[in-house]
Amino acid sequence: MASTTSPPPPDVLPGREELAHREHFATPEQQRETAMAGMWIFLATEIMMFGALFMAYTVYRLGHPLAFAEGSKDMEIVLGSINTAILITSSFTMALAALAAQEGNTRLLGWLLILTILIGLAFLGIKFTEYYNHYQDHKAPGVWFESNLSDRGGLEMFYVFYFIMTGLHAIHMIIGIGILFVLWLMTLFGRFSRVYHSPVIVCGLYWGFVDIVWVFLFAIFYLPGLHLHG
Amino acid sequence: MAEPTIRRKTHVYAYLGLLGLTLITTLLAFLDMGPFNSVVALTIAVIQAALIAGVFMHALYETVLVRVILTGAVLWFLIMIILTMTDYLTRNA
Repeated sequence: MASTTSPPPPDVLPGREELAHREHFATPEQQRETAMAGMWIFLATEIMMFGALFMAYTVYRLGHPLAFAEGSKDMEIVLGSINTAILITSSFTMALAALAAQEGNTRLLGWLLILTILIGLAFLGIKFTEYYNHYQDHKAPGVWFESNLSDRGGLEMFYVFYFIMTGLHAIHMIIGIGILFVLWLMTLFGRFSRVYHSPVIVCGLYWGFVDIVWVFLFAIFYLPGLHLHG
Repeated sequence: MAEPTIRRKTHVYAYLGLLGLTLITTLLAFLDMGPFNSVVALTIAVIQAALIAGVFMHALYETVLVRVILTGAVLWFLIMIILTMTDYLTRNA
């Protein structure tokens, strides 16, 4: 192929030329497209997983409309919207990190990754404070669950969905923060350049997806809670 | 197709739009619109998701292959919702 004879691009780091373009790809463009397609297929499976939970939530909300409205009333809408803004901010810094990686500005990339990690931790801090408050209020499903609502079981199911869906989301956040930390180390060790940076882009897609899931969780758990309707 | 790069300005506009929509959706939740509260909340959530996917995740600028994968995922999700709801919404409880 032509790529073996052409000289390496000038901004590939010495000793790291192989990272720009692996030999089983015809061109760097094909390598990039393969990475993106692979990540989007993974995200499609994630849509399937969260989609099934959203589906189940909808069915139970139709079956227990008053209990689910009552459950949403317990949610702290201010904390929820602050957390939404926080997570959107982290997606913004992650998108800027991807841009910095594309431009080969690894110094900026490192700082933006750290910033994204810190904002992500702030989100988890608020989320776990909310969990603690629900636990204190005896709203964690199980033997400690307390409620004098007539549809007690329906309210408990609301909390089952709340903890499983936001919990699965929080697990995604924790994994994402771990991945960003590894990316930050790789940045420090000079693994990324203007030519090779697809791990940053791919992880940015993951982080953006996790943000999208939260936007919907916010809409179904926090927002319906201010008025009692079926 | 070469790697899509989106200008910083576009990112900033999308970010401000997302924050604005978060504020709007929170304020609208305080209005009593009956069953339309959920409709409004989910519509704004879909717009926010489109902004995040389109700009932050570059979906608008990606290859046809990526757009086919994304469309397929959303389509299959809708098939699941619609087919399940044709059952649950038409039962005589």
